[in-house]
Amino acid sequence: MRVLRRALALLGLPVLLLATWWAASAQSTNVYYPPLRTILRTFRHVWFSDRLRNDVLPSVLRLLGGYALAAVLGIAIGVLIGESRTVRGVVEPVLEFLRAIPPPVLVPVLILLAGIGDTMKVLVITSGCIWPVLLNTAAGVRATDQVLADTAECYRVRGPARLRYLVLPAASPQIMTGLRQALSIGIILMVISELFAANNGLGYAVVQFQRGFDIPEMWSGIFMLGLLGLALAGLFALAERWILGWYHGQRRASRSR
Amino acid sequence: MRVLRGLPGWALGLVGLAGLAALLEVVPRSGLVQAKYLPPFSTLVRALGQQVGTRGFWSALGHTLLAWAIGLAIAVAAGAAVGLLLGSVRFLHAATASTVEFLRPIPSVALIPLAVLLYNVRIQSTLLLVVYASFWQVLLQVLAGVSDVDPVARQTARSYRLGPWARLRYLVWPTALPYLLTGIRLAAAVALILAVTAELVIGSPGLGHEIALAQSSGESAVPVLYALVLVTGLVGVAVNAVFRVGERALLPWHPSMRAPV
Amino acid sequence: MGDLLEVRHLRKAYAGRRTVEAIGDLDFTVPQGELLCVIGPSGAGKTTLLRCVAGLLPPTSGEVRLAGQPVTGPPAGMAVVFQEYGRSLFPWLSVRRNVALPLRHLPRDRRDALVSQALAAVGLSDVDDAYPWQLSGGMQQRVAIARAVAYEPSVLLMDEPFAAVDAQTRAELEDLVRSLWARLGVTIMFITHDIDEAVYLGQRVLVLSRAPTSILEDIRIDLPAQRDQLGTRGSAEFTALRGHLYEQIQRAKRGG
Repeated sequence: MRVLRRALALLGLPVLLLATWWAASAQSTNVYYPPLRTILRTFRHVWFSDRLRNDVLPSVLRLLGGYALAAVLGIAIGVLIGESRTVRGVVEPVLEFLRAIPPPVLVPVLILLAGIGDTMKVLVITSGCIWPVLLNTAAGVRATDQVLADTAECYRVRGPARLRYLVLPAASPQIMTGLRQALSIGIILMVISELFAANNGLGYAVVQFQRGFDIPEMWSGIFMLGLLGLALAGLFALAERWILGWYHGQRRASRSR
Repeated sequence: MRVLRGLPGWALGLVGLAGLAALLEVVPRSGLVQAKYLPPFSTLVRALGQQVGTRGFWSALGHTLLAWAIGLAIAVAAGAAVGLLLGSVRFLHAATASTVEFLRPIPSVALIPLAVLLYNVRIQSTLLLVVYASFWQVLLQVLAGVSDVDPVARQTARSYRLGPWARLRYLVWPTALPYLLTGIRLAAAVALILAVTAELVIGSPGLGHEIALAQSSGESAVPVLYALVLVTGLVGVAVNAVFRVGERALLPWHPSMRAPV
Repeated sequence: MGDLLEVRHLRKAYAGRRTVEAIGDLDFTVPQGELLCVIGPSGAGKTTLLRCVAGLLPPTSGEVRLAGQPVTGPPAGMAVVFQEYGRSLFPWLSVRRNVALPLRHLPRDRRDALVSQALAAVGLSDVDDAYPWQLSGGMQQRVAIARAVAYEPSVLLMDEPFAAVDAQTRAELEDLVRSLWARLGVTIMFITHDIDEAVYLGQRVLVLSRAPTSILEDIRIDLPAQRDQLGTRGSAEFTALRGHLYEQIQRAKRGG
């Protein structure tokens, strides 16, 4: 019975919304809002084909590349900033300024500096994804529990060991928050990087459809983006549950006390 | 490094900024990167000075800020209202949780083609993107704030039989307020980014559109391009600073506002 | 047996708008193998003293020496058990790995043996795979003690370790500390605000004054080596000693 209720809560509203959309658009003759049935049919026709390999795959690879680079750089710089007040003081205004530049605005700049190939696209993604990772890492590192830090100091856990056993695990909940935000940003930038000088990709395909007035195909592309976002979010949630198992357990324990 | 350690915070910051400017001056001049791709800092500043003298620049800036302000206001009102409602009524929260999770990852850029079709290059297309992206920021923060209500306080309220309105006013609102203000600050930043992005990609009036024009105007406009990028960054910094000051002014009592020891 | 720990004219002042002298002048030594209790009114700089001895805080003047070597940072061979057990154990490591962490330089066999022995000594052998937050407060403090024991320190510093634990558990842990001390022969400096605890545990008690802290009195506890909660605490000598200490603490509070 409980399973049924949970399934209802989980799927109830989405199913209701989809059903409403289906019904409301079934008779639609509006070019911009084709019937949901048409969109779904077009979806299968467009995406279950070579497009998956020729468009979706390159996009996803570029996304993963930019995301990974942003994660590594963001965590590294974030740790440096979090650990040293001096570094923080020097670097903070510079980062504040760089962070305020919208990544799409950097695209023309990056085209000048890195050309129009995959490198530019990966850099565009990195330039946006790095910020939530960096800021959250710095905040997480700064918030390391003082008693724990003293304990590590007393037992002479220093240098790389301190990073591995104290700093990074202590900051990991907040780092994961940053990585989660970076994922959403990454998808957005993946699309934007393909709007300018691209010849393949998911974002490229959607814009091509829009320019060619292939409206149902365009909507199916938007759906695809949503599904991609959902799939990545789901994978991330699984990874997060595994990595932060200790954290969730600890919070559950303290809540029940 | 040791020299820097004793300096006060603002001095360190100046060192950093000066370092960046110096880097931007030296790298193009030394030939590491060609000057036509990355103009020296002094050239940038000169181009910026020229821009500030033109009426087109200020008109573009005005458009951007207008779209930003309107979009932000709508998003905050909607996000706060929906967040408070969903957070307070447990049944609603459970029923809508999956929908929120599904819609949340849909990137706002997915709406760009739709915006173009509906509104072409008018300001409404900018607004569509700005409101969509900012709404989520506010909503998620408010939801986090509502769920952060101290369980002991909540039980105390229940044992004193406070009605839903009283609970909202004395229990939920003070707890959620800091989160809401953080959400507004984050949404303000996102709104600005989306506004400029929409203008850049769609072509609606504003700073973003000016940047796109500069990019397609060839080599002579490269310093102008960079100057406009600089302006965008400065506007972003200003917006962030204003909202952070506002947050501090409204919440001096909150622990997150206390200076680190 | 020589003096293992020497505190020579220790002074600690905090500079600020007004200079706050936390510790005025502390001068004492601790011979090897002694169980020393340090007691004093609130604000007597007990924690400051511990942090200076542990090498976490540099003194303003004076020095601390461990086995003849000056202490400028956390020295090898010194273990600390803090009051906040929940915050001193790594929540992402199991009990076993928490205890093993300070020993990571040792070869695996030796390390595992030390960890198992230490956990057995505190009675936690069957929860070694659990996480600290799955355990009760008393058990968590036992893990912290096991970690200190496995480290095989020459000096063990304990900063009001049982203040945050309920009375029954506190009694068990006090007996645990005494039995470990008797078995391992480690030198212990035990900070507490509980007079009964200081008399029950210690061979010697230092009474600290209010800030600027100095030693008010240095008392030898001549109770028998074998102590138990019921018998010892009920004895006449115990009552006399605790009465005397109570007076001293009152005097310290008044600023005498």
